[in-house]
Amino acid sequence: MEERRIGVYVCNCGTNIAKMVDCEAVAREAEQLPGVVAARSYKYMCSNPGQEMIQQDIRDLKLDRVVVAACSPRMHELTFRGALQGAGLNPYFLEMANIREQCSWVHEDARAATSKAAALTRAAVKRVVFHEPLEKRYVDMCPATLVIGGGVAGITAALELAGADQPVYLVEREDHLGGNVARVDLTAPYLDSARDILAERIARVRENSNIRVLLESEVQQVTGFVGNFTATIRTGRDGEVATTEARIGSVIVCTGYQPFDAARVQSYGYGWFPNVVTSFDFERMLRSGRIVTDKGAPPRYVAIVHCIGSRSQEFHPYCSRVCCMTALKYAHEAKSALPEAYVYDLYIDMHAFGKGCEDFYRRSAEIKTIFLMYRKGSAPEIRQAGPKYDCEMLIRVNDQLSGEEVDIPADLVVLMVGMESREDAGKVARMVNISQDKDGWFIESHPKLDPVATTTDGVFIAGACQAPKDITDSVAQARAAAARILGKIARGRIEVDAVFAEVDEERCSGCRMCNELCPYVAIEYDETKKRSHVISALCKACGTCVASCPSGAIKARHFTDQQIFAQIEGVL
Amino acid sequence: MAERKLQVALYWGAACGGCDVAVLDTNEFILDVAAAADIRLWPIAVDGKYQDVEAMDDAELDVTLFNGAVRNSENEHVAKLLRRKSKIMVAFGTCAHLGGIPGLANQFSREEIMERAYLNNPSLEVGNRTLPQTQTDCAAGQLEIPRFYARVYRLADVVEVDYTVPGCPPHPSQVKAVLTAVVTGTLPPRGAVVGASERAVCDDCPRKKEEKRVARFYRPWQIIQDPERCLLEQGILCAGSVTRSGCGVRCPNSNMPCRGCYGPLPNVRDQGAKFISAVSSIVDSKDPEEIDRILAGVPDIMGYAYRFGLPGSLLQRSL
Repeated sequence: MEERRIGVYVCNCGTNIAKMVDCEAVAREAEQLPGVVAARSYKYMCSNPGQEMIQQDIRDLKLDRVVVAACSPRMHELTFRGALQGAGLNPYFLEMANIREQCSWVHEDARAATSKAAALTRAAVKRVVFHEPLEKRYVDMCPATLVIGGGVAGITAALELAGADQPVYLVEREDHLGGNVARVDLTAPYLDSARDILAERIARVRENSNIRVLLESEVQQVTGFVGNFTATIRTGRDGEVATTEARIGSVIVCTGYQPFDAARVQSYGYGWFPNVVTSFDFERMLRSGRIVTDKGAPPRYVAIVHCIGSRSQEFHPYCSRVCCMTALKYAHEAKSALPEAYVYDLYIDMHAFGKGCEDFYRRSAEIKTIFLMYRKGSAPEIRQAGPKYDCEMLIRVNDQLSGEEVDIPADLVVLMVGMESREDAGKVARMVNISQDKDGWFIESHPKLDPVATTTDGVFIAGACQAPKDITDSVAQARAAAARILGKIARGRIEVDAVFAEVDEERCSGCRMCNELCPYVAIEYDETKKRSHVISALCKACGTCVASCPSGAIKARHFTDQQIFAQIEGVL
Repeated sequence: MAERKLQVALYWGAACGGCDVAVLDTNEFILDVAAAADIRLWPIAVDGKYQDVEAMDDAELDVTLFNGAVRNSENEHVAKLLRRKSKIMVAFGTCAHLGGIPGLANQFSREEIMERAYLNNPSLEVGNRTLPQTQTDCAAGQLEIPRFYARVYRLADVVEVDYTVPGCPPHPSQVKAVLTAVVTGTLPPRGAVVGASERAVCDDCPRKKEEKRVARFYRPWQIIQDPERCLLEQGILCAGSVTRSGCGVRCPNSNMPCRGCYGPLPNVRDQGAKFISAVSSIVDSKDPEEIDRILAGVPDIMGYAYRFGLPGSLLQRSL
């Protein structure tokens, strides 16, 4: 093989790497390796001067391969690929050695860490020798979008896309749009009417010719890949069923949440005491304008209990985020409808973190809501009140504010049920190939930096299907997802990574071992040729099929056996 | 050809004798061989002593068909001797090629093997404590037997091999093919695996292959199989997908699963690892306990996956 000209760049990352690894020593050792013509250490390789140093060497020393020993490639691989490209080198002639996350950050013995950094760098040098030039590819972008779920997130996303003159399929399972917001009376903290928020937007959806609304419909199947999906949508219930095939380029999943079933918590007697109701039952009363007990009388004592099914080891460990402010909203609405009633609010911690929420909390106290604080794990107990009481039920609370165990009267108890992922969220996840976390919520690509994308290109998530959130955040996410899609549509075509798996048909024996394994459904079997092949645009280069192929007929570009064995040899 | 007959040796290392029987199974052809060639050494059928071989000139033999693995010092000594005396050295059969069934012993130490074979075995005389020794002094003088190695080697681990004929045993037609090629001078490039395909057994197997999802594994006698359908899909542990073809799909065509005797595909380093990954890939469950239950239906995964290839596998640090 022809001699390579390799440059090795060891980053100090300020003191992040340098405090544990002798970067200069790593560079000196790398300098001795075959093919290495320059090895330097520097403060910040990712900085402009750092990148320029690499580019200068590429030009002056005629480098044809580059190793950067620095942070995780997830952090800066693209940065350095860009630097190579800028100097006229194929970007895939880069290899990174992770001497930060996998070395300096996790070790305490500087000598051992330095020798490990040197070994990782040596492995990268051995590997980069076998790197092949790869070219990026492009596929066309279909401008239509499938929005699954017609709640506030779905409606918002659809309007945003249609407003930019792009076609949208808005699919809703129920016979009306609006989702969970349509079940709500006023909204916290400004007490605007949910109906007003929705009605105007639903009307705009109806009027917009770019949006095709499919009610009583469910998406059956989504096939294809980013920019080029086909969705099968089934409309209608038993008997009259119609099927729509939609060519789409993107998917936004806005399937929302389902309320926690209060009957699962036995100590509250939901389903047993007729006047213990859930927040959604209470919304129904508010929307009808009549707050009454089952006997039709207005309650004298209203008690609102927080965290039903939330923040509990037994049910859901997470906070459902919207219930605290919704509870305060109930206090306001109850007080305004029944000025003579006593309103008790039983909480664990008052989460009032949103804009305007702390003010709202203060105003709730001003209208004489009586707050009691109970401890996590010591839930209030509801029992029937005897004939000597002027109320129907008594709630025993171990109140943390007064430090006393008290019985408070109640004619109507409102249980603030938390949000949970929908029962059939798993089905949706499998259909569009996204993941769920331990609580069933869909997982975003990055919790901070990429909150609406998923690991499947072209599939986005917005609203409460990702995690409990309020209308404000759902709308923000829906618009963010729409903006991401409009960005892709504006470019007209989609860049597909040059790293993907390919089947060597000369070696494939058509055993079909790989067919079901691909998590991205990127492998097709050709019945006539009796060979499998990878749809490269769908492939994420995870390597599953490569490892499984009994014939060694599948090669992952940029992760060839030769490259990996060379790398292993380097660390040994 | 007329002036000088072909000079041939056949030898067995650690082997069962099946490869030699395969040579005899060429029937009348063996008589043609005998007519066209001098068989200089063939312990199973022809009288010949090591001293006779030692007395030969180097490269005096045209071809040696070496079957069996290298288990002891005698196997290695004769392999090296025949290599020196032969123009062409053929690793004949799976044991010489990959280590074969004897290679499964590499799961155990020499001490464990001795213990099992000579000290703790139901077929031994009760109380036996006799272990074979390399050297034994007795009235007649000092007796010497070959040294039992700590592990089994492939032929290619001890001598340079020119050609490989895979199979446990190779089909008699393969024997004819190799000898005919030597006689007619139509040998493939050195290093070739003779008579093997570049693709897996599945490529030649006529059974219908669909998507593989297995909820229970069976040994062949535990299930009435569908003779049209891929055996692996029926839960029968068939190694066809991880094995080079060229055998004529004899086992699956006889309703028996491929055992893997032709060895790994040309691009593959470790056939057993591929087999394990194939089996684990098709388990039809995502529930850890159920997966354990399904995999418990595979009684001896080492025996299945590395039936023939343990000495040459990555597990043995062979590359």
